Amino acid sequence: MRKLLFITLLAISAFAQAGKFGSFTNSDDVGASVLKGAADFDSSTGNYKVTGSGTDIWGKSDQFHYVWREMSGNFAVSAKAKFLTDGLTHRKAVIMLRKSLEPDSPFIHLAIHADGTPAVQFRNTKADNTNTVDFPVEGPGVWRLKLVRQNTTITVWIAKGNEPLRELGHTSTQLGSPVLVGLGVSSHSQAATNTVLFSDVSVEQLQTPAPTRR
Amino acid sequence: MRQILFFCLLSTSAFSQSGMPGVFSSARDVGSPALKGSAEFSEGQYRVTGAGANIWAKQDQFQFVWREMSGNFTVTATMRFLGQGAEHRKAGIMVRQSLDTDATYADVVIHGNGMPGLQWRSKPGEDTNAFDFPFDGPGTFTIKLVRTGVRIFMYMAKSGNQLKEIAHTEVSFQNPVLVGLAVCSHQADASDTVIFSDVSVEAEAPLKPKSP
Repeated sequence: MRKLLFITLLAISAFAQAGKFGSFTNSDDVGASVLKGAADFDSSTGNYKVTGSGTDIWGKSDQFHYVWREMSGNFAVSAKAKFLTDGLTHRKAVIMLRKSLEPDSPFIHLAIHADGTPAVQFRNTKADNTNTVDFPVEGPGVWRLKLVRQNTTITVWIAKGNEPLRELGHTSTQLGSPVLVGLGVSSHSQAATNTVLFSDVSVEQLQTPAPTRR
Repeated sequence: MRQILFFCLLSTSAFSQSGMPGVFSSARDVGSPALKGSAEFSEGQYRVTGAGANIWAKQDQFQFVWREMSGNFTVTATMRFLGQGAEHRKAGIMVRQSLDTDATYADVVIHGNGMPGLQWRSKPGEDTNAFDFPFDGPGTFTIKLVRTGVRIFMYMAKSGNQLKEIAHTEVSFQNPVLVGLAVCSHQADASDTVIFSDVSVEAEAPLKPKSP
């Protein structure tokens, strides 16, 4: 039984590394927007074009397109995000951790809104309201986003253009393991889609330190 | 031009004749800390002593100096901890729905080690949410909390630097709310004292006289 489990784990791991979506394994619309989303991975450049519709990732439930893989333990995810299409001010591109694909699932993400408002947003329990920490608006551009999970601590960094990454701060999460880790795009409207180019995407498993201190 | 704002700036000496001097009306421990807290107002400064396990998780223990307010407002204060204490002792400006230990609240705090935080409990009895910002050590901090509708903005400056907008969150309160200064030692068997100076409370609508 133990041997069988081991083989299964190996298989999942191999799939994750050579998946259809590079660092990720799947691509799905979360929530039911009128317009369908899509994800296109270019294995020669490592770039993702993610097209998402949906009212928002906000309130008690979400609508967006998600490119994801399952992960446990500690990890670091970073990506550059560039909005390729015009749209609403608060369309958003995110690095997300999510419990499930249900629209009202607990989640936490680092978001960049199209107007250059960085935000850390999270839903603590299923169907609960979304919490937000919005940072001052810095204007549109190409943004680098980085999110690290270590035990229950989530630390985030951002940089606009070619500026060096700067830490925004940290919060905590009870999402646990496994979680769905990935990139999300929401157009902030059911009547529109928006496409975001994610480049320099890195997903790194970090060593798991000692058990969480409470 | 609909948005003409009626600002009413209260100086810290304007109401020195009533119960709790200065811009606030009352001082009290919230959540029954093992050691009693206290608050004094003298020469334009608040000297607030608080104990308590924490302002965190599902319930709080701390000393609160407050007044009742409705609508939008801005509270500013310069603060420093006296003496030694726990790394995560905290003090700052709080908006609170009630004096219940598990009440809805939002606050802008500085921890004893200098770490700034924006904290909030969205509903009574829920876990506290927090976001902590990068920091370089303890000192004297000027902090500002602005309530605009559901939004709670945090501004901060260390050691006399220019106040800078840090971030905002969203918390739904019913009017009126309790607005004031909070001090918590982060340990049951110790108190901490914080000096708050240059305290101002500005309301968008004219303030009603303080309740006695």
